[in-house]
Amino acid sequence: MLEAAFEGLSQVLTPNSLGLMCLGVLLGSIVGFLPGIGGPSTLAIMLPFVMTMKDPFAVIALLVGFDAVGNTASAFTSVLISVPGSSGSQATVLDGYPLARQGQAMRALSASFIASLVGGLLGPLVLLGSLPFLRPMVLSFGSPEFFVLTLWGVTMVGVLSGNVPLKGLLAGILGIFISAVGADDKSGIERFTFDTAYLVEGIDLVIVALGMFAIPECIDLAARKTAVAETQELGHGFREGAKDVFRHWWLTLRASAIGIWVGFLPGLGSSVADWFAYAHALQTEKNSGNFGKGDIRGVIAAESSNNAKEAGDYIPTLAFGIPGGTSTALILTALVAVGVNPGPEMLTTQLSFTFAVIWTLTIANIIAVAICLLFIKPISRMCFMPFYSLVPLILVFVFIGAFASNRTHTDLLALMIFSLLGFMMRRHGWPRSPLVLGMVLGDKMENYLWLSYGRFGFEWLARPAVMILFVLLALSLCYPILQDWKERKRRGERASLDR
Amino acid sequence: MNSRMKSEGLAFTAFVGSAIAGALWVARDWPVRASIGILVLGIIGVTLALCQISRDLRLQKTVQDRSAFEAPQIATEGKWGNIEIWSWIVGFYLLIVSIGFMLAVPLFVLTYSKFYGARWGLSIGLSAVAWSLVYGVFETILHVPWPTPLIYSVFQT
Repeated sequence: MLEAAFEGLSQVLTPNSLGLMCLGVLLGSIVGFLPGIGGPSTLAIMLPFVMTMKDPFAVIALLVGFDAVGNTASAFTSVLISVPGSSGSQATVLDGYPLARQGQAMRALSASFIASLVGGLLGPLVLLGSLPFLRPMVLSFGSPEFFVLTLWGVTMVGVLSGNVPLKGLLAGILGIFISAVGADDKSGIERFTFDTAYLVEGIDLVIVALGMFAIPECIDLAARKTAVAETQELGHGFREGAKDVFRHWWLTLRASAIGIWVGFLPGLGSSVADWFAYAHALQTEKNSGNFGKGDIRGVIAAESSNNAKEAGDYIPTLAFGIPGGTSTALILTALVAVGVNPGPEMLTTQLSFTFAVIWTLTIANIIAVAICLLFIKPISRMCFMPFYSLVPLILVFVFIGAFASNRTHTDLLALMIFSLLGFMMRRHGWPRSPLVLGMVLGDKMENYLWLSYGRFGFEWLARPAVMILFVLLALSLCYPILQDWKERKRRGERASLDR
Repeated sequence: MNSRMKSEGLAFTAFVGSAIAGALWVARDWPVRASIGILVLGIIGVTLALCQISRDLRLQKTVQDRSAFEAPQIATEGKWGNIEIWSWIVGFYLLIVSIGFMLAVPLFVLTYSKFYGARWGLSIGLSAVAWSLVYGVFETILHVPWPTPLIYSVFQT
């Protein structure tokens, strides 16, 4: 094993592989920084060129290096202009942007980069150590367990939306319905398309996310007619942010573990990890009242999980040949084309390739964080730009990002419809996160439900793991009622004391 | 919360409830395979929407609803409030449809920044940056096929 580890490292550190890894990291960081240019679409563009390469280690260095860092640089736009650079950093906006508005952009960014680094380093470690333990567990999970898991995800985020659990759940349901738009693979029925060709392919998540978060923030900025930051300070720089990560080390570890777990479960996708980790932080951290208003723990949870998730993605990809997400599916295609056979052999005869992936994930994360920290100060100065410089640029970014989805003018129309919805939701205190999560998980949820029913009838409800997950779901639903009851009791006690 | 905002909020909840009810109605004729999820969640959704509406109506002195991890509600500042920025957004969309991205982007950035008091140098600089981004990344590197602007179609005919 040690021999394979050294071989993997030496192959990754050859000038050719190292150069390609740096290129991959740079490309990944740029793609992460630019909203609307997705990692998977760039990977798809790279695929034909990469498949002509002969050296599998060089392919691993380039593609894994690219894939590992997409969520690191995306924090820049999430924190500074409230536009998620990638789908994995949507939850970062919730606390990162308010921190930037309070003049703590540097702190938020450095915390996010250091958390990304911790998550990005923990991920490969877990990838290495977890295979023998997690394999039997995931293999025992079937569609019923995955269905309840996805249902629990939407419910948890919906219910945890402060004092508006009803609105949260409604937003989640709305998100699931939006995900149902388009031709249904299972039945061939066109759902909610209203005979419109554009809707047959479904509504793109990027458009919904931009409409929900980017435009409402832009409207707010334009209405306030000030800069993003309400003060003229960038905060205490990256030292403070780094300290925050280590101050909340237990949260960082937990959020990273959630990220790895989400990545490990095939099909949940990169946009789920940050939401799950965020909801977990909100549920478990003390004094969570400041979440959403600029709590550094929100940034740490989201960012450590999304980077850790990338390594988690490789566990089923390498060990079972089942891609954990879209990006790993494309990387898997390239690896097979250059002679690597993902599956049990990756733990025996091809162990050096597995180690090459682990080393690349580790080194790429270090390089990406170093690049981001180097540019943190000049880029953070964007917070002080007056609104008339930022608003048009954000709108250009957002419109191009939306247009990149299907490349038609209808994308822009869809963007404006979802912007209006996002604007109204924000105006009337509706949580927008459950809608996005509902949209992310809706399709999978329906598939798992149908598979469960098709394979087991109603017997799937009696499976032990399903019952445990249902109990957890019920507890999540009861949580706000319990909180409300506690609050009322506290108020009653205070009132009787006053009397 | 003033009464206008309150009734607007109520109308929005009713809109969400109606949208879910409408989806339920549309899905009733689909085969079970395609409708099972929609029907189950739709019934729950309509019930929740009715609960929310009755809650909104019941509470006389409503504490402003604020979700735990949401940004503060958007303020309407100035004489025109948010209509002003919405006009810019719709205008930008119409400009893109009419003259295409390559011309609309610099024109919009220049007009917006200049309208709100930016100096000529800054406005032109910002427009150049925006145009370079669109041209450099999307046109040259990614070869994005831009749709034909309306104005070209008019001239061609």
